[in-house]
Amino acid sequence: MSTAYTYKPWYEERWKDNWVPEEVAVDCYSTFACRHKFCREVCPVYQETGNEGHSSYSFHVSLLSVARGYSKLRELGDTFTYCLQCGACQLRCPTTLFTGDFYKITNEHNVLVTKTRKELIDLGFKFKGADGMIDNLTKVVNDTDAGKLPVAEWAKDLNLPETGEVILFVDYFMATQMTNILRLVATVLKKAGVDFGIVKDPKPVFTYELDYLGEKGVAYAKHNLETLKKTGAKKVIVPDPHVFVSLTKEYPRLLKEDPPFDVVYVTDFVAELIREGKLKPEKPVKKKVTYHDSCMLNKVSGIWNSPREILNSIPGIEFIDEDHVSQWYYCCGNGASEVRSFKTLHEDLSYRIGLKRLRRALDLEVTTLALTCPHCNEQFSEVKVKSNLNIEIIDVFELLADSLGLR
Amino acid sequence: MTYVMSYRKVDGYVIERLAKIVGDANVLTLPHERFIRAASAAPFPLHRWDDHAPDVVVLPGSTEEVAEVLKLANELRIPVVPRAAGTGLADGAVPLKKGIVVDIKRMKNILEIDEENMCVTVQTGICNNTLNLELNKRGYWWPFDPASYPCSIIGGNMGTSAWSLIGGVSGHIRDLVRSFVHVLPTGKVITVGEGGGRKISKSSTGYTLKHLFFGHQGTLGITTEATLEMFPKPEVEFPAFFGYRSFMDAWKNALKMAKSGLRTMATHIMFDEWKVEALRRDDEAYIPLPEHIKAVIATCFYGTEAEVKGASERIFEIAAKDGGIYLGEELSEGDWASRHDRYHIAYHGRHTDGQVGTYSWHCEDAAVNYSAIPYVREKWHALVAEYKQKYDVFDDMGGFYYNNNPFKQWGDYLTEIDVFIDEYHLTEELWQKWVELKRKIAEVVLEVGGSISACHGGTRPGDVELVVGKELDPGVYEVMKMIKRNLDPNNIMNPGKYLLDSAYEG
Repeated sequence: MSTAYTYKPWYEERWKDNWVPEEVAVDCYSTFACRHKFCREVCPVYQETGNEGHSSYSFHVSLLSVARGYSKLRELGDTFTYCLQCGACQLRCPTTLFTGDFYKITNEHNVLVTKTRKELIDLGFKFKGADGMIDNLTKVVNDTDAGKLPVAEWAKDLNLPETGEVILFVDYFMATQMTNILRLVATVLKKAGVDFGIVKDPKPVFTYELDYLGEKGVAYAKHNLETLKKTGAKKVIVPDPHVFVSLTKEYPRLLKEDPPFDVVYVTDFVAELIREGKLKPEKPVKKKVTYHDSCMLNKVSGIWNSPREILNSIPGIEFIDEDHVSQWYYCCGNGASEVRSFKTLHEDLSYRIGLKRLRRALDLEVTTLALTCPHCNEQFSEVKVKSNLNIEIIDVFELLADSLGLR
Repeated sequence: MTYVMSYRKVDGYVIERLAKIVGDANVLTLPHERFIRAASAAPFPLHRWDDHAPDVVVLPGSTEEVAEVLKLANELRIPVVPRAAGTGLADGAVPLKKGIVVDIKRMKNILEIDEENMCVTVQTGICNNTLNLELNKRGYWWPFDPASYPCSIIGGNMGTSAWSLIGGVSGHIRDLVRSFVHVLPTGKVITVGEGGGRKISKSSTGYTLKHLFFGHQGTLGITTEATLEMFPKPEVEFPAFFGYRSFMDAWKNALKMAKSGLRTMATHIMFDEWKVEALRRDDEAYIPLPEHIKAVIATCFYGTEAEVKGASERIFEIAAKDGGIYLGEELSEGDWASRHDRYHIAYHGRHTDGQVGTYSWHCEDAAVNYSAIPYVREKWHALVAEYKQKYDVFDDMGGFYYNNNPFKQWGDYLTEIDVFIDEYHLTEELWQKWVELKRKIAEVVLEVGGSISACHGGTRPGDVELVVGKELDPGVYEVMKMIKRNLDPNNIMNPGKYLLDSAYEG
């Protein structure tokens, strides 16, 4: 992972209807100062709406107009809902590309969007869909606190310990909604002879949305970090890109503490096992496949090679790749949320963004779209049903397990 | 007698009429929607932001809707400012008298790809890069490469008569459009091209009016569709950068490159000592050059493999004649690949004490003949140094000198000095100092018989007075005014630009 992305703690100070802190104003100005708006064209939302207001540049400049007294927070309406938090804009920003390493300054669009939404909600300026978004989070919180989510069920017959140098970590989403994929991940790791444990009472990570929960969010983050520490883990393997972003970026920012273990995305870990000869995919899988880069992996974490490496190691697959930079322009339409926030805010727009991506895949004349993100998986499966497009949606681990003869 | 312009205020009635044309969702009145569409990419007086915010923004979806909006504005006498990418450097999209901003970015469909006649018809709200993403898949290329390439938009490129970095092989925007659909200020829709055919590249019938609608900065209406040239995708792109011990060595060498006769050469660009020094400031942001390198020439070639191979051998020989050292594949390819992104970020500008400030990048351009470049360069850097010393809100980011000529390498150069300005802390007094510096920069160009702008336009304060008062032949400016008054009887299209309000006096 890149170390260039250093978050700024502009969460501390609260905003007012007609005031944002000077630090925010200066950062917003630095986007205004560029004015080249490369962020706009790469944005999956703007590509659909054609409204310049739905771009990182405009979000920043809107807040600058508040800072300068020309506009008020209450007048922003639902502007800040037009964002997937996919990370394309902050990556495409010249400030990130060319000053990130040198000055440790990057465009932090995703953090700014969460911050702005939170301030709007707290100040009582509820944008359209805010209630639904918070309800989705609250439901998971309530279920978690009532012990209603069977987060350890998926592993109950696998005899996995709760300590060890290697820990496989997921939160409620994959544990309860993508159990089949998660079990395949565990099976593949076992096949390679990896000794690993799991955390049996994880709390939801909620990626960028943890902040909406205030103290509760911080408590969840602390719980997960402390539990992981207690396992004695040296390496934490994560099979959900959204959880990966939480552990590598959001927790250090919120808790002001770097974890005492390495966090490794599962495809990076498994590609290494294949390279070392500990896994030998030998059974041919006859499919014509392209790969969809998860935003949280490709754009936010800079991980794009290892899933391709795994696909290329599977005999029989005809892999037709679309490079990861071209994929900055795409998103599945779900965005960074674990609880379908963008879908709640803009159901039709989310569908159109997902549909566009599936059509791009079909342009390549493939039968199968492979991915390694449970949230992309959920979204594409829904879009596929709704659109009736003839394309198979499949996780990289399903293909790998088939080639290893594991299912 | 002075003609006093009076415009109708945008009120509830106007908003209602606009909504009937483009739909409620496409009429934007919230403050931030208006303020984000006040500036383009040139230095902006943030302390007077309100002066340039439009009253309302509309997002039309078709030629018909644009025509209806202009008819309404003409009927009610309301200023209209067209906005495409908003990346122009001559304030074309900056409203001077408020009114309606017509933002064309929803109109971004590709209408036809004609593989037999090698042209593509688009709505003018499409971005250059987006168009290429589509064409490249089919083996074609839209060979237009302004600095704003990743985000700028065909309609704005036409309205500003934009310039292409690779014009040496494929020309500039005016050379790359075969015909277009244009909405006049009265709302009348016309199709303009070579003669009457939509896909004809050269005709001798009628007046050639095509160029009239390039560079009018929105004063003559809004272009909504265009039929563009489509090139076969070149087999090879070959960038080669050379380092020199002095700028004068590079300048001498540039003439030899210009006269080389290499038809695959897209451009040659000189970087002067100030530019190389500025790039060295951020050693991680730029591949470091050896200390003895004081100037650079960047070249790039496009063509078939056989052509480019031959040309590359020749260019190495030519560069060596004045001590040019090849700077290697990593620097050449890396810098060429990031050519659109690298030079306009905040955080590179420095105060006189060396500290980084809240500077915005800005580029002043001109068209200057080869022979006058050394003089202009000295004068410009001295001016910026003087203003930096006096006011500490400006910084010199160095000079570039690009081949300015379509389909050839010789003649004049897009001569550019990059100036950082601390817009965040500008006051009206400092803003006026900036305009003064801008005017002095432009005066140097007129001294040597150049043109104040090769690629942006001459519509900003500091430039515009000199363009209409000194650069253009007075008879030519008279004709401009006659055209403006005839095509736009009520002066609704981008009023104030090129001081054309004077067309309505007397």
